[in-house]
Amino acid sequence: MRKILATFLNESRLFAKDLPGIALLFLMPLALTVLMALIQDAPFREYQDIRFEILWVDEDGGKMAKQLGAELDSIPQFVLIRKLNNQLLTAAKAQELVQKGDFKLAVIVPRGVSAEVANSANQVANELGAKMGAPGKLPQRESREVALEIYFDPVIKQAMKLSILNALEKQVTKIQAEIILARLENRLDEQASDSAGPGLRLQEKLQAVRIKEISGGENSPARLTTNSVQHNVPAWALFGLFFIIIPIAGNFIREREDGSLMRIKMIPGSYYSILLGKLGFYIVLGMLQFFVMLAAGALVMPILGLDSLQIGNAFGSLFLAVLVIAATATAYGVLIGSIFQTPNQALPFGAISIVILSAIGGVWVPVEILPAGLQQLANLSPLHWALDAINELFLRSGSIMTVWKQLIILLLFALLFFMIAGMTESRRRR
Amino acid sequence: MLQIQQLEKTYKNAAEPSLQGLSLQFSDKSIAGLLGPNGAGKTTTISILCGLVKADAGNAMLLGMDVEKEREAIKSRIGVVPQSIALYPTLTAMENLQYIGRLYGLSTALLKERINHYLQLFGLEKSAHKAIRYYSGGMKRRANIIASLLHEPELLILDEPTAGVDVQSRNMILQFLASYNKLGHGIIYTSHLLEEAQQLCDEIAIIDHGRLVVQGKPTELMQEQQAQSLEQVFLQLTGSSLRD
Repeated sequence: MRKILATFLNESRLFAKDLPGIALLFLMPLALTVLMALIQDAPFREYQDIRFEILWVDEDGGKMAKQLGAELDSIPQFVLIRKLNNQLLTAAKAQELVQKGDFKLAVIVPRGVSAEVANSANQVANELGAKMGAPGKLPQRESREVALEIYFDPVIKQAMKLSILNALEKQVTKIQAEIILARLENRLDEQASDSAGPGLRLQEKLQAVRIKEISGGENSPARLTTNSVQHNVPAWALFGLFFIIIPIAGNFIREREDGSLMRIKMIPGSYYSILLGKLGFYIVLGMLQFFVMLAAGALVMPILGLDSLQIGNAFGSLFLAVLVIAATATAYGVLIGSIFQTPNQALPFGAISIVILSAIGGVWVPVEILPAGLQQLANLSPLHWALDAINELFLRSGSIMTVWKQLIILLLFALLFFMIAGMTESRRRR
Repeated sequence: MLQIQQLEKTYKNAAEPSLQGLSLQFSDKSIAGLLGPNGAGKTTTISILCGLVKADAGNAMLLGMDVEKEREAIKSRIGVVPQSIALYPTLTAMENLQYIGRLYGLSTALLKERINHYLQLFGLEKSAHKAIRYYSGGMKRRANIIASLLHEPELLILDEPTAGVDVQSRNMILQFLASYNKLGHGIIYTSHLLEEAQQLCDEIAIIDHGRLVVQGKPTELMQEQQAQSLEQVFLQLTGSSLRD
């Protein structure tokens, strides 16, 4: 115990005297985390609360066109632009502006749309009314083909395009259904005008099942969805934590090269207690670094206009998870320090391997959107399991009971790294 | 204090063996020099004695104990001074020595006493709180030796302890080694400086190509080889061709 403590204190002392090292280990990941959260804020918001400008040209001027415009206006993501420079937009002008890339899309409601919807509603109401024996008939004519015209900027993403088309289609269907139901209700109400009972209220009855959006775990105090901060802070904090392999590997190689290892190994007692003191220090350092990043996510991000990081309320589980993750990162550092002979070999390999493991592990972009093959490969990255455990705790209100599998896998990674390092060292003796 | 018998070692992927049946012995409590040109097998021998490298064959006994089987018992009785400066450059001499002393399990009071004693003895008391990286080459060598002396080992093994130091520091180190030996401690050291070995050692072993070339007292070897100096003996026995 005395050796463990002495080594832990010595490593702390060495670290405290290395100001550039402290800066690199804390400020660089902090800068990276903040920068990535800022850069990725816009793409994340694209699907959430970004306000999307739509050029709206109403050539119809009818009830249905006005209602559609009003419905789209009520959707927070859409801003309908009907006039530019105090002049009503024309279809040609809107098309030109989209073509130039000034706007992402334009919707043209051609003349006759409202009339066609009304005619279609009358046809349906008449058919149903006749079958139910309702007297009289609403005016109707032959159907004509009309369509809303939508012009998209070619650079718009397919996902965004589909989401806008879905929103428009939903609103058109909704308005058409409302009109049909209103006409049908009127006809049936006229038939029942002799009775004193309440109206049919068909529209209300047809909305029996609604959609209620709930995110996060069952007991989650906050309704969480992922955002730039929620994805980037834990992801890049883990990336930074794994970069602790650089000082660890450097330290192990330096000790082997300068004879310190020889001196240490000649000290009576097990070398493992000295090793444990060293590893303990790096694990604590890694954890400290990670929690500093989380604190920045919670406190600094809002100052920069981003969302605040939500870390859930399973603090004990979070501590344990970060402990296991830091131990895995430390074990990887020991492995790199063991298998390579010089810092020139170890440091570039270590750094690039972390970048690769983070890329396939979902740090750069969520694993779910990686190609199928890479999604399988993600299982080989300790960063994937680490990020999965942290997301489980933060976004799904998980606890140790729900992240134990990820932590066991991380511990197996750590064990494997230590075993290979041990075998390399014993082979070196031979 | 050292008996080596038929020690063999070939590193993986090495073109030639480092040790080829090396056998030698040094008497108890002597100052013994292990000499040889580059690539002779000196560092491999020291590494085997310290347990850092495993011999392919043969055996080595230090202080009457088998270096493979009784490593733990040997460790507390020997001190090893590596050829390079095995100290943390950003820490002061005091901080380095405190850490090493604690690893040896010395009590705080005893450690403080020994650190002060050796810093004074090696003329480093005024620089005790200066970072090692600001030390001169000679000061670093002296601090490197102190770090292996804190537990006052029975046997001190030094690998090129005077390499690259100024004359004054070298003189100081050699004087210390002589006085430490007079206190009853054995010393084994390797060196390229044959004049130094001639002046200091009670006995020497010259090895080359992983084998013992000759062993004995410096004066006796000079007589046997009819040479004026140990360097002449060395050149006569190992040749004048350059070594890499």
